[in-house]
Amino acid sequence: MKKILLMGNPNVGKSVFFNRLTGANVIESNYPGTTVDYTKGYMKGNSEDFEIIDVPGTFSLEAKDKAEEVAVKMLEEEKGALIICVIDASKIERGLYLCLEIIEKGYSVVMALNMWDVAEDKNVQIDIEKLKNILNIPVVPTVAISGKGFKEVVLSLKKAASVEVKEIMEKVGEIK
Amino acid sequence: MEKKLSEMNYEEEGRVGSIEQDLKNKVAGMGIRVGKNLKMITKHPLSGPIVVEVDGAHTSLALSIADRITVEVKK
Repeated sequence: MKKILLMGNPNVGKSVFFNRLTGANVIESNYPGTTVDYTKGYMKGNSEDFEIIDVPGTFSLEAKDKAEEVAVKMLEEEKGALIICVIDASKIERGLYLCLEIIEKGYSVVMALNMWDVAEDKNVQIDIEKLKNILNIPVVPTVAISGKGFKEVVLSLKKAASVEVKEIMEKVGEIK
Repeated sequence: MEKKLSEMNYEEEGRVGSIEQDLKNKVAGMGIRVGKNLKMITKHPLSGPIVVEVDGAHTSLALSIADRITVEVKK
């Protein structure tokens, strides 16, 4: 069974995401560090089933504490896994940092710009088409607590592919 | 004027001037890098952590870490 890892900064909604995808009921609370160990669940896709792993939040792949160590270790152990990189759209820069680190390691990534509603409230504007174009991975705006964007996330899983960082750098260069 | 991040006052804004080398990667994932604009939000008592705003998001840092970052403060 294909594995999917949910990765992202602490407190971006990975566990809410996990519950939505698997129908499980993992504890969610609105402060960082709620998930210090991982949780596994299963999801039925259109053509295949997936094992989904809710990974503790981490700011980077250089672990600073126990929860981050778990996250980094899990990523290393699951070389062939798909990654859904969950980002708090209202704090997009930090999320992109981690996401780029994961892409750099060669994983196939789908980016979920979660808390899209919060970003809109804060008047944070994100050009999704441009992001998709630069990163060459699926980028989907989501609101995990209401379920917005989930269908698209699941549908875009088969479009996830590993991308060379060099290619991304070249595109970023063009923008400048 | 340059000062330590830990010495910034409430509401004071500045730009990150330098970060000690071994700390750079640690704080980069939290959005703190040389050249970034910061605003001091809270300093907790009893040598507790500080909270700064960077790119519209709040992030907290241990005082011992804030001691090793310098900021060019806006007048």
